[in-house]
Amino acid sequence: MEIKQKKYIFHVAGTHCASCKILIEDILGGQDFVKNPHVDLKKEIVEIETESEESAEELAAILTSKIKGNGYTLSVEKVITEVKNDDLIWKALPIGLAFLALFFMLQKSGILNLGIGGRTTPQASFIIGLIASVSSCLAIVGGLVLSLSAKIEQDDKGITKKPFILFHAGRLFGFALLGGILGLLGKAIGINFMFSAILGLLASTVMILLGLNLVGVFKKNTFTLPSNLFSFFRKVEHAFWAPLLIGLGTFFLPCGFTQSMQVAALSSGSFISGCLIMFSFSLGTLPMLALVSFGSASFAHSKHAPLFFKSAGIVVIGLGIFALLAGLAGVGIINPLFSI
Amino acid sequence: MNKIALTIVTLGLVVFMGVIFMGGEGSSDGQNVEIKDGVQYIRVNARGGYSPKVTTAKAGIPTKLIMQTSGTFDCSASLVIHSLNFQKILPQNGETEIDLGTPKVGEPLSGVCGMGMYGFKINFEN
Repeated sequence: MEIKQKKYIFHVAGTHCASCKILIEDILGGQDFVKNPHVDLKKEIVEIETESEESAEELAAILTSKIKGNGYTLSVEKVITEVKNDDLIWKALPIGLAFLALFFMLQKSGILNLGIGGRTTPQASFIIGLIASVSSCLAIVGGLVLSLSAKIEQDDKGITKKPFILFHAGRLFGFALLGGILGLLGKAIGINFMFSAILGLLASTVMILLGLNLVGVFKKNTFTLPSNLFSFFRKVEHAFWAPLLIGLGTFFLPCGFTQSMQVAALSSGSFISGCLIMFSFSLGTLPMLALVSFGSASFAHSKHAPLFFKSAGIVVIGLGIFALLAGLAGVGIINPLFSI
Repeated sequence: MNKIALTIVTLGLVVFMGVIFMGGEGSSDGQNVEIKDGVQYIRVNARGGYSPKVTTAKAGIPTKLIMQTSGTFDCSASLVIHSLNFQKILPQNGETEIDLGTPKVGEPLSGVCGMGMYGFKINFEN
């Protein structure tokens, strides 16, 4: 019996780091019908030898199913993802900057500083939530939501809305639960300045990295260092708990409104009232955040998707830098940022 | 051609944002400083930022800072004064008194909100 070793060359999509080569070769080499897998990152191709009788298309499909979980796809034809997008950045830049200018102008205008007197009722918390969702808190929470949503859309092409729903559910119920605990304990768990400042710095760093990734900076010269972070994202964004946990984690992000509400929940004296205050507050922030995440999803499906990703990247980078500088000022490393 | 137009728009937006960030109101003329019974009281309003942003007060006398809040829920409610190691979330309505000791000349006091967006400064002079 003559055994025929056939050589196939597939185009690979999703390689963004030097270690991708090792990972793909490792997984493909682990299939018993595949011999000598070789990945060429520069040409974005994978060479394999096999005795399999399957057609090239079927082989590509089989092998893709093995490495899809890590974010790679194989194809016979080169998938043209970006058709001369160099000019796009020139359109995305003014769009993104216009959004940023509008946002900062809103902060400066003082419209958001309307006072709400009296006791903190759940109704008042809801209104404060509405205000908070367009305030400077949007820079960090909204920026994070936008960058993560766009990243998920870019990776998954919007197969599922589940991560978004889980994120919002995690935020709503996390706030309710933690608010209740605050009311019950009467002690600060979310009010450690240093902790939330560090978390804020971390979030803004992630935002800037994701923003750069959305704009497409990392495509040209494949980085090795942040790629670990990105492959970490790829893994966790499919997990059930990850969006849930990030939603809950926004409780601790630095935001003056959130912290004021935490104090109100703290002094409310009971689980139920603390729970209600924080739940109403997060419910108030929901419309804006839902608009950001589901809005970006629908943009990502339109024919303007490449432009959307780039514009979103600019906005995210801008907000990320703003939040980063503000965070540094908050811990006293640099002078207070702006005289907004 | 199109690119030139977009570049001009981009530059315009950058300048516009620069104006937003750099532009600020002037400082106080001492209206918020009061000396009563040998104690200097400095009042600073906290809501959507701090006002006045810059205060000039006298050095060498016992001084207290009074933070005034009314319906304050934003960042300015979470006050941090690094030089005093002071961190507190101010009540939504009311006054918070902070003892500054006896300030010396040339040692200005600066406060910042927890998220670093807003700040205020008090200069002490003879």
